[in-house]
Amino acid sequence: MSARRAARAEPGQGRILLPESIQRGSLVHVRTLLSHPMHTGLFNTPDGEPIAAHFVQDVVVRYGEETIARFRWTSGISRDPFVSFPIRADREAPLRVTWTDNLGGVFEASAEVRFS
Amino acid sequence: MPAVPVVLSRRSFLGRLLPAFGAALGAVAALRPAALLGGRRPPGAPSRGIGALRGDGSAASRADAPRTGRDADDEPSEAVKKVLRELFGDREIRTGHVQLDMPEDPPDGRLVPVFIESDLPMAPDDYVKAVHLLVDKNPDIHVAAFELTPALGLASIDTRIKMRATSVVRAIAETSRGEVWWATRKIFPATNGCG
Repeated sequence: MSARRAARAEPGQGRILLPESIQRGSLVHVRTLLSHPMHTGLFNTPDGEPIAAHFVQDVVVRYGEETIARFRWTSGISRDPFVSFPIRADREAPLRVTWTDNLGGVFEASAEVRFS
Repeated sequence: MPAVPVVLSRRSFLGRLLPAFGAALGAVAALRPAALLGGRRPPGAPSRGIGALRGDGSAASRADAPRTGRDADDEPSEAVKKVLRELFGDREIRTGHVQLDMPEDPPDGRLVPVFIESDLPMAPDDYVKAVHLLVDKNPDIHVAAFELTPALGLASIDTRIKMRATSVVRAIAETSRGEVWWATRKIFPATNGCG
């Protein structure tokens, strides 16, 4: 396995992308991305060793103190899971996303909703 | 959001491209791009007899396949019915209010874009509380559940999934009042993305 593929196979940084300019009360599209292998447990390595299932199964989205969305996933979501959804930007508050995988890995990212 | 215009513009682009290929390269040369692109031809476009010429009819049958999920082949299997029963009991599932946008023949089953949007309200007393994504032929039929709240303002999800084989995909919106609406599409991935 090349160094690049090995690096990609490790779960890493989560990211939240917000538009540069946000108006109060507008519908804002949030894009979230996490580097994660999302192994199904159905594949083998080139040497024939099974690759254990390793996938994000729970995603919690918080806007300020409020949990505004929660995603329950299986390994059917693609590697490096991407998901985009809208929020109604009615207040300035941090937006936080927490990804939890089936092996207990927890990954977090946050971004500030600020009006311009 | 961008999924819709991108797909549509690609389709109309191909629609313009095909006749140009035919004119420039002649009938024999045109067969190859047409066979590759035939599945993306919008329904209702002239078939140009490509499926008949290839002798297998696959190009024609793909393009003409209904997108409503009413094919005999598209009826939920027992396994799918079990998932639906566990999620919604014996509530009626109606077609409508859900838009499911996916490429019809994605080149890679490991990375299939999915865009789901509903025009149902997101009011405090009446909102889409969950969007479920089912792929009939995947090892895990119930690929994902997206639990939403009115704070989103709009029930809209854009993500990427894996698909094992040609399958019906079901996007289902469940409202806080207990209504269930869906959209179904048949998708033909070129490779197995699940193992």
